Amino acid sequence: MAAGRWPWLLVVAWVSGVAAASSSSSSQTGSSQKFINCMPCSKRYVADAFDTFTSQLAQHRDLAETSDSADSCKGLDYDLGVPVLSELHRQLVGEGSHRRLVYHVKFVNCADAMVNFLDSNDANLVVIENLPNGVFADPFELQHFVERKVFLDVAVFGDTNLELPSALSNRSTVEIHVDLALSASMSCNLVIDLPLHARYPPLDASGYATVEFGSPDMLLRYRKKDTLPDSCSWLLKDHDATSVEKAVWRIPCGDEAHIGFVSSITFLSALVCSISIVIAALFF
Amino acid sequence: MASAAVTLPRVMLASAALRVALLVFGEWQDAHLEVRYTDVDYLVFSDAAASVAAGGSPFARATYRYSPLLAYLLLPNTLVHPAWGKVLFSAADLLVGMFIDIILKLRGIPDRTRIWSVVAWLFNPFTFTIGTRGNCEPIVCAVILWILICLMNGAAFWYGLIVHFRIYPIIYAIPFVIVLGKSYAGPAGKPILTQWTSKQHLQSDKSSPSVEGATSSFTNLWSFLRSLVTRNTIMFGLLSGSMFFLWTGVFFYLYGWEFLNEALLYHLSRTDPRHNFSIYFYHIYLHHQQGFSSIQKLASFLPQLIVQLALIVRFSRDLPFCLFLQTVAFVAFNKVMTAQYFVWFFCLLPLILPWTTMKLNWKGLACILVWMGSQLHWLMWAYMLEFKGQNVFIQLWAAGLMFLAANIFVMLMVINHHRSTPLFSSSSVKFAGKVASKKE
Repeated sequence: MAAGRWPWLLVVAWVSGVAAASSSSSSQTGSSQKFINCMPCSKRYVADAFDTFTSQLAQHRDLAETSDSADSCKGLDYDLGVPVLSELHRQLVGEGSHRRLVYHVKFVNCADAMVNFLDSNDANLVVIENLPNGVFADPFELQHFVERKVFLDVAVFGDTNLELPSALSNRSTVEIHVDLALSASMSCNLVIDLPLHARYPPLDASGYATVEFGSPDMLLRYRKKDTLPDSCSWLLKDHDATSVEKAVWRIPCGDEAHIGFVSSITFLSALVCSISIVIAALFF
Repeated sequence: MASAAVTLPRVMLASAALRVALLVFGEWQDAHLEVRYTDVDYLVFSDAAASVAAGGSPFARATYRYSPLLAYLLLPNTLVHPAWGKVLFSAADLLVGMFIDIILKLRGIPDRTRIWSVVAWLFNPFTFTIGTRGNCEPIVCAVILWILICLMNGAAFWYGLIVHFRIYPIIYAIPFVIVLGKSYAGPAGKPILTQWTSKQHLQSDKSSPSVEGATSSFTNLWSFLRSLVTRNTIMFGLLSGSMFFLWTGVFFYLYGWEFLNEALLYHLSRTDPRHNFSIYFYHIYLHHQQGFSSIQKLASFLPQLIVQLALIVRFSRDLPFCLFLQTVAFVAFNKVMTAQYFVWFFCLLPLILPWTTMKLNWKGLACILVWMGSQLHWLMWAYMLEFKGQNVFIQLWAAGLMFLAANIFVMLMVINHHRSTPLFSSSSVKFAGKVASKKE
């Protein structure tokens, strides 16, 4: 049943896996991540770009060797003074079935380094949020954010059915691209708002289902402004986002103990009401 | 009261102005406030139309569950202005007002009563907001009334089309056939409409409804069934059926199974575990993981079926009244019920008002208050669940039961205060002279 989402799940697993490995080798958040990969400019999304590799991979640890990143990224300049994150917070805001995940992202050395970097590079911040089961993002709603230029681009992978309850649906992943030039104009303080909606959870006697978000993936995607189209590659740099605050969503759910009396009273009242109409119609 | 100043052109002008003002206000609210004025479905229609404009299928837009015709109608949303659809729906809404006037005029309703019936549609807050917010139901309402107007000439074309467009008018098929099955042709070959008369006259004519009751007895069942098979009914069935299958066939050819599943089959099998006015929503949610037994499916279908049959058997000759009750009952007993369905019967309400003996104070007012009150009560619990995240499923379900009770209460009140009048007179000779003299 989850066949359709394996490719991108693997990608995300791989990205986070490598990210975890790289961050453990770096002593400080975002200071010197070793993981740098690249993807052709013809691919629009990060998850999409690695889709083709995943089929040949049984285990994500093999990816570093089998991916052709090592070859295709050869000759690309890594040492560009890439902006580094100094702060990253994530918060679930609102109450009820419609809430927002709000990310606050801050970069170091905003005044000089960022401006210099953006002079010679196109750069986007890529947020990949692996949504837990029970929560979904509406791709059509997000598309309107792109039209209003809030996001540069956005995609939802996995189960995008907007109506099914959790028990009958699969998980999904959102990929958001934000123009880094936008952050420069806001003194390197980026605020990203991701509207989310709750599905109806499976029945539970406690009355509430708890949905917990894992860590997102934060990548910086950049390329030289004067890149030729045929040899164009995006460079990807992963930022460790494992330290973000946990986000927990409590969603009211139905109680199995109600099944008996709810169904019988529902049918009984429908029957009584229909009979009263029949009597009124035929005998008044 | 300055009711002499209330004429149809003025009422139409005022309601057109009101709708223009609401359209402008809606645009402003969408641009400036967090809560949008525009209906969420309007965005879905518009996206589907944009997809068609770009050469794609309207079903590329998830949750688009309508005939492709709707997306075609809204092509100017992409090509001319995004508000085109709202203007179109509001125009259909005004057309409904005109059709109400035409139908009531044909049935001999005096000017004053007619105007107030038209006002009951045009200034009903439920309906004037529906069109301006971009809901497509006014189009369906306009065509249903148009079918009533041309029931004998060309109705079949429109009926086949509108059942393709929105499936629910299929419930009117039997009463249409019953009315067409009786031979009501007058001297001009057209059916003779029963003219509205004073209360006293109708009281003495009270024997007419029982004719309908007699047809329900078993001895007359055979002749009743035979009366359904006439040249008129066969033509109506063939023509409307062909229209329905023609449109459905064309779109099946263009968009394949996606069209059939989304625009047609989805509506037939729709069960929604998410909260809505229907009494069945919590039952459906509680069973969504294990599925439904045939007994459960039958138990939720049976009340709907017996109510529809009883209403058809009893009231089909008084066609507009029958359609109104059928629609209220269909919505009340449906497995999914949202506020947009209320428009389906609000457009028929003005057609029965002249025949009611219910006065606004206090019985009419009581009906309005009970119906609105139980709806607001439900909305309060729905708000607690959806926007406050509180577990109030039981309260919300109980509020749904109360809303059903309110609907039944209103229906019983309406039935008990209605002066039953067949749409067409059964004896052409008896009424032919009367109509002729009226026309002169």
